[in-house]
Amino acid sequence: MAMNFDQLKNDWSNNEVVSTEVSESMLKIKDARTPIDQIRKKMKHEFLWQIISLLVMALAPKILGFSSNLSSTYFLFFSIVCGFTAYYFFKFYTFYKHSYDLSLDSRKNLLWFYYEMKINIELYKALTYIVSFIYLSFGAIALFITRGNILVKLLEKIPLTYILLNAAITVLIIGLITESWAKYSYGKHLKRLKVIIESIDEE
Amino acid sequence: MLETQQAFLKQINENKGIIHKVSKMYMDNAVDQEDLFQEIVMQLWKAFPSFKSTSKFSTWMYRVALNTAIIFFKKDNRKIDKAPLNEQIEIADINDSHEKEEKLTYLYKAVQELNQIEKALIFLFLENQSHREIAQNLGITEVNARVKLNRTKEKLQQIIKKNGYEF
Repeated sequence: MAMNFDQLKNDWSNNEVVSTEVSESMLKIKDARTPIDQIRKKMKHEFLWQIISLLVMALAPKILGFSSNLSSTYFLFFSIVCGFTAYYFFKFYTFYKHSYDLSLDSRKNLLWFYYEMKINIELYKALTYIVSFIYLSFGAIALFITRGNILVKLLEKIPLTYILLNAAITVLIIGLITESWAKYSYGKHLKRLKVIIESIDEE
Repeated sequence: MLETQQAFLKQINENKGIIHKVSKMYMDNAVDQEDLFQEIVMQLWKAFPSFKSTSKFSTWMYRVALNTAIIFFKKDNRKIDKAPLNEQIEIADINDSHEKEEKLTYLYKAVQELNQIEKALIFLFLENQSHREIAQNLGITEVNARVKLNRTKEKLQQIIKKNGYEF
């Protein structure tokens, strides 16, 4: 026997819902329980950590007792890092603000968040690579400035293939850490959203 | 700010039945239902500045509520309790003699086996929305909404039948 959905619809409409009054206290965030909330929360934490690390980095020449030459070089690199970080956080802030508007239709809403999130993750990865390589470059220059003679002698002794191999391993380690961190932090949330998008797009 | 908050609370309390029903549709136990209810209220409040008074409050609310419910997840990834429905309902609603309410209890239990989008389709259908409105809310074509809804109705019927109940 076919199910009577019209009757069910009537029962549904006539069913009186007993619900508690919505109060002011309900308007405060308690626990993050949607991928969007969790991503927002994680990004907010990372934002704070980036600010703290930038502040520590700004004090590095004083803490490590850099010479005036080395300090000038350091601040040149540091200002480039600040520029890239500021760009990333501007992009993230725009995304963060917009993410509270859930009034689009479900498909658009899911797609918007999914792709914006992907772009932000790629930007985040790019930022990590850029910052890492800037600091590595500074490290190399600092070695030339402070230990120039020893370094030249060392480079004469070490074969070029060994230096290249070391550089490749360093790049690989940075890449591996960045990719794993991004996957661990955001991967499962993206996967969850992708499953829902697939079910809405299913013909 | 306080005025906006009061206006918002007034509107929400007038339409809270929608949130309550969405919560029951998407979560299978009272604790999660309460959490989802609060999450929807909170998301509505955060999105309230973007609400344009040219559209109906309840229409806007359907969208935000459903969009929140679709991506909301259980805290500890508990699995759906697959025990036979009749056993559970006898325990849960031992004093419930009303056929209609029993039917809805079975419905709420059965929809837990549907995916997030199928739940949205059934919910909007039960809320008396046309195929066109369902399509607009979900962002799919009207034809697709019709096909998906029919498929979901069949699936729901099978779940209810499998669990030893018919209506």
